[in-house]
Amino acid sequence: MNAMNPIPPPAGPGPGPQPFRLLIAALGGEGGGVLAGWITEAALASGLVASRTSIPGVAQRTGATTYYLEMVAAQPGMLSPVLALNPAPGQLDVLLASELLEATRLASAGMIAPSRTTLIANTARVYTMDEKMAMTDGRIDTARLISALKSAANRTILADFNSAATAAQAPLSAVLLGALAASRTLPIADDALRDAIRREGKTVSANLAGFEAGLKTVAQQSTPASAPTMAGLVPQARVAAPAEFTARTSVVAAEGVARLTDYQSAAYAERYLATLRRFSVLPGMDDAALAELARHLAVRMSVEDVTRVAQLKLRETRIARVNAEAKARPGDIVDITEFMKPGMDEILGMFPPFLARPSIRLTNRFGLSKAAIPLTVTTTRLWGFLRLKFLASLRGWRPHTNKFHEEQIWLARWLALVETTLKRDPRAAREVITTAKLVRGYGDTYRRGLENWDRIATSLIEPALASSPPENFAEQILQARLAAEKDPEGQALNATLAAIQRAQTATFQTAQ
Amino acid sequence: MEVSFRKEIANLKLGAGSTFRGEGILAVTKALLQSGVGYVGGYQGAPVSHLLDVLLQSEDILTELGIHLQTCTNEAAAAALLAASINYPVRGAVTWKSIVGTNVAADALSNLASAGVIGGALIVVGEDYGEGASVIQERTHAFALKSSVWLLDPRPDLPTIVRMVEKGFELSEATNTPVILELRIRACHVYGSFDAKDNVAAKVSTNARLAAPATFDYAKLSHPPVTFNQEIDKITRRRPLAEQFILDHNLNDLLGPADGDIGIIVQGGLFNVLNDRLAHAGLSDIYGNTKVPTLILNVTNPLSSRQITDFCAGKKAVLVVEEGAPDFLEQAIGQILRKADLQTKLHGKDCLPMAGEYTPLVMADGLAKFFKASAQTANPAAIVSSPVLPEASTQKRLGEGQGGGAVAASDQLARAADLLTAWLTEHKTRVAQVAAALKTPLPARPPTFCTGCPERPVFSAMKILRQETGAVHVAADIGCHAFGTFAPFSQGNSILGYGMSLASAAAVSSVQQKRPVSIMGDGGFWHNGLLSGVASAAFNKDDGVLIIMNNGYSSATGTQDLPSSRPNDEGRGKGIEIERSLRALGLGWIRRVRTYGVGDVKRLLEAALTSKEKGLKVIIADGECQLARQRRVRPAMASAVAAGKRVVRQRFWIDPEVCTGDRSCIRLSGCPSLTVKPSEDPLRTDPIAHVNSDCVGCGLCGEIAHAAQLCPSFARIDIIQNPGPIDRWKHATSRALMRLFGVERAPKQTTAESVGAAL
Repeated sequence: MNAMNPIPPPAGPGPGPQPFRLLIAALGGEGGGVLAGWITEAALASGLVASRTSIPGVAQRTGATTYYLEMVAAQPGMLSPVLALNPAPGQLDVLLASELLEATRLASAGMIAPSRTTLIANTARVYTMDEKMAMTDGRIDTARLISALKSAANRTILADFNSAATAAQAPLSAVLLGALAASRTLPIADDALRDAIRREGKTVSANLAGFEAGLKTVAQQSTPASAPTMAGLVPQARVAAPAEFTARTSVVAAEGVARLTDYQSAAYAERYLATLRRFSVLPGMDDAALAELARHLAVRMSVEDVTRVAQLKLRETRIARVNAEAKARPGDIVDITEFMKPGMDEILGMFPPFLARPSIRLTNRFGLSKAAIPLTVTTTRLWGFLRLKFLASLRGWRPHTNKFHEEQIWLARWLALVETTLKRDPRAAREVITTAKLVRGYGDTYRRGLENWDRIATSLIEPALASSPPENFAEQILQARLAAEKDPEGQALNATLAAIQRAQTATFQTAQ
Repeated sequence: MEVSFRKEIANLKLGAGSTFRGEGILAVTKALLQSGVGYVGGYQGAPVSHLLDVLLQSEDILTELGIHLQTCTNEAAAAALLAASINYPVRGAVTWKSIVGTNVAADALSNLASAGVIGGALIVVGEDYGEGASVIQERTHAFALKSSVWLLDPRPDLPTIVRMVEKGFELSEATNTPVILELRIRACHVYGSFDAKDNVAAKVSTNARLAAPATFDYAKLSHPPVTFNQEIDKITRRRPLAEQFILDHNLNDLLGPADGDIGIIVQGGLFNVLNDRLAHAGLSDIYGNTKVPTLILNVTNPLSSRQITDFCAGKKAVLVVEEGAPDFLEQAIGQILRKADLQTKLHGKDCLPMAGEYTPLVMADGLAKFFKASAQTANPAAIVSSPVLPEASTQKRLGEGQGGGAVAASDQLARAADLLTAWLTEHKTRVAQVAAALKTPLPARPPTFCTGCPERPVFSAMKILRQETGAVHVAADIGCHAFGTFAPFSQGNSILGYGMSLASAAAVSSVQQKRPVSIMGDGGFWHNGLLSGVASAAFNKDDGVLIIMNNGYSSATGTQDLPSSRPNDEGRGKGIEIERSLRALGLGWIRRVRTYGVGDVKRLLEAALTSKEKGLKVIIADGECQLARQRRVRPAMASAVAAGKRVVRQRFWIDPEVCTGDRSCIRLSGCPSLTVKPSEDPLRTDPIAHVNSDCVGCGLCGEIAHAAQLCPSFARIDIIQNPGPIDRWKHATSRALMRLFGVERAPKQTTAESVGAAL
């Protein structure tokens, strides 16, 4: 375990000894500097000559950064080697990366070589702003990153070191040091690394625990893992699945039924099933499309109105989950204070249409449509609890509200479009179903989604159905939806709809 | 609160016989103490901030050695500080980030250089160039040339850096000229060791004050008519003295065989990259035993004509390795060769690129071109053994030993070129392979505001306002707030320098219907903004809006104290009020706001933009730097909890059942702790927003949810640690009563995966 690893044989064509080259990729604030410090100290204590440099700059603020280390056996009379300050691409012995994308970034810069480099990378992701702020799922496919890394390195040690750090209640940097030791690439004994942690003297026990966790994580990885269980992958509805659908649809439908029963009532859920039944026998409706319809219909039928939000926020299970999230110790008291700001349309939406509609017109006239009531409600205390309890108790009243009424109108329009499209172009029908995902969220986000959907329905789907849908109808709807999901200002949607219109006019003129 | 440097300070106290271990910039600090420096000053900035930061906390050392330490408000003040060495035999050193700091310092620097010094004057600049740099890419070299100031560019190893500091003072005194020592980013952070010497107390110092001022001597003034003599003195006396000093003290390193057909002349700071690639090409090793004669210029201005001609004489070609534009060294060497009528072929920017950092890839490409060209002309004879030049003996270990002293022959050069080319080709292949496997380009990861940063909410407010009332011209500035130019805010039309935002908007306001908004930090305000921006705007009655981010520190450079920082035990802040200085300039429209109140910031900004009042409107956005705050609060809280005291910890949380995954919140916040995770809702496929455990509970999430009327998913969690009996009683009573009314139960759920599989 504590055996020294030999300095690797010369890899370059140059004469004389070659240094061991290690690049650490980290994000600012992750302790990459401390990690590099431990390794340097341990190397020096082991009688090696070591050099290290970094480009921290403003990286403290979560930007990507690197630390580069070189070490070589001390030779009598040759005490001062000229160690390079910049890592030369392809000549690293080890790349140690605290984050998967950053590992890949260095691989794509040609830093690691299949002939030489051992890659140790944390598979946990810290998402970039671009990935996080995308309107839909902007996350890079992890599997693709991993496969690119595996072919780029000589040897890869990939593990979720974040989990190991959390479990050991240790900093990630210490876990990564353990992983580096476990790779058996370093010309430094484990005990020298432990000593470096001790000598640094800050939160020693946590760092040592992290070091051992890193060692263990890698050791466990090298023993073949037990075959993954298929339990999580095979559809296994715990709610009785409606028997009339295929397995695929019935899992979704069962979930929908459970959700809508909770949302409103068993009768309401039955209406959902009835709709699905009706569509399931329509010509052109395939299984995949039906499952997709079952999903969107359930979501759209359980729109998050004031009552629904209040209901979700009073869930008994929340406290336990918040306690875990907040890392509360036994005996701590945890309070949850909700930030809510129902807007005029959401408040007035709770009134029946005959009252709500004139009121909404009135508020619009007086420029109050954007008015809202900011509330902070502590749901873990009686007064806050009672206020939400009252709102949640309005479930029986929901079918009489304007909001519900408007949702029904929207649902009817959407379903009618799906049905008509099914008759003309079943492939496009699937895309019409998916447009429902545009309508979601609260406040402005909800209004914007509704507007975008309405524009696609009014200027693209309905005119096409009124005449004859073009051959690429499905593609057009898909493009319009993706454009609507591109930017919150709707600029991409404008451009896409205009382009589709232009193309159609051109086709029309050619036909003439 | 500033970072603690206890360990580094211990290093500064080392005496002869001990080994100093640490980073380059701290080695410089130690070298200053060993050189008997009498005063030190400067302005913070990466990568040289630590020089000052460490000294600020080393009061005992400063007192013992009688060193005066000046926290200058900008680089001009720092350069002017060196004026003490014009009249008095006292050594002084100042530091700043270059090129920007040198730009600011230029006026004082010119005057200093003209008058000349009798005490050694050293300027340590962080040459912020290449990967990791945060400023415009220009060379300090230009300033050294135009002001006839000597420029040291030492090899990035600690003994050389330390020697150059010590010799730099001597050179300065021997030639009556200020000396600039430039260190690139990696050199500032390079970790190494050197044999320490005892610190030396200055003969003239705060402990040994002079009884009388210098006698009046008009020749020491940078004022006509003596400026004409000073200009001539620089060229006819000081420069030849410097050239002689360089030779006498072997400041430049000469490596490799004494003869050979080709040679390389390299800036000291680039030697390590050069040697690494030469080693790869089989022409050197890690001990610097190069087979190509190499002249390492630890002094890049002035060049000793004699040294250059001696080196080039008898060589068919030399390569000048000089990073950045223009090619000052190459031009100068070309002129020296021409005047000496040497026919040595001069290579440089024909092989290497004119602009951009000399990374290993760039270096390899340049060397390959040079070797290829030279292989045809070089001596085809077999390798000849030849002794190392005597000049190299100044650095005993470097370049001595095995392999050294063999001249590279033409076939060896051809092989070297092939090796480098092969390496470059392999590199291209690897890059292409990874790109093919990835298919898509990777998203960038620029730095951003820290979790809980008080400046983020201002940009959130600006973005919400932009969505509501349209865009305005935004003049950005230097400081952490420059991160507002990155996503998700993407605000800022120009950056013109530190504290220059308001000045840069002066003419913009006259061609815009809407008032421009200028952003400035408290750092920028004291550095330059108060005079260049505010006074000028007040004088000209400019109609604009200025937001001053008052976070209490110069945060981007490492949370150093400012004149307006709160005075406390650890810090040097004097609590000089920004608001009072604005009022003193006669400004009327000044408002203060707590930055985390996004709604309040937005309303104030709207008011400033639409106010009927003409003239400058200033919003002082108050919020302490979270990095500094956490450094103080976190340990205090931990010890309070450990001591059993009642502590309320706050953080934010997103209700995963209520979040619909549209992520509008992320587009308005950009907080690192506000991230995404897979939806738990089996019927929703897009990821939802999630607050991770780095959250410091600044409250921005909740404020944005309110200000932008986002969604009801955000909740604040208050964790009462070590609750008292009253806390427990209130909590228990609330729970009991709530149970009476009944809680909501969740329906059974299928797993998200199973539905996902179905779809």
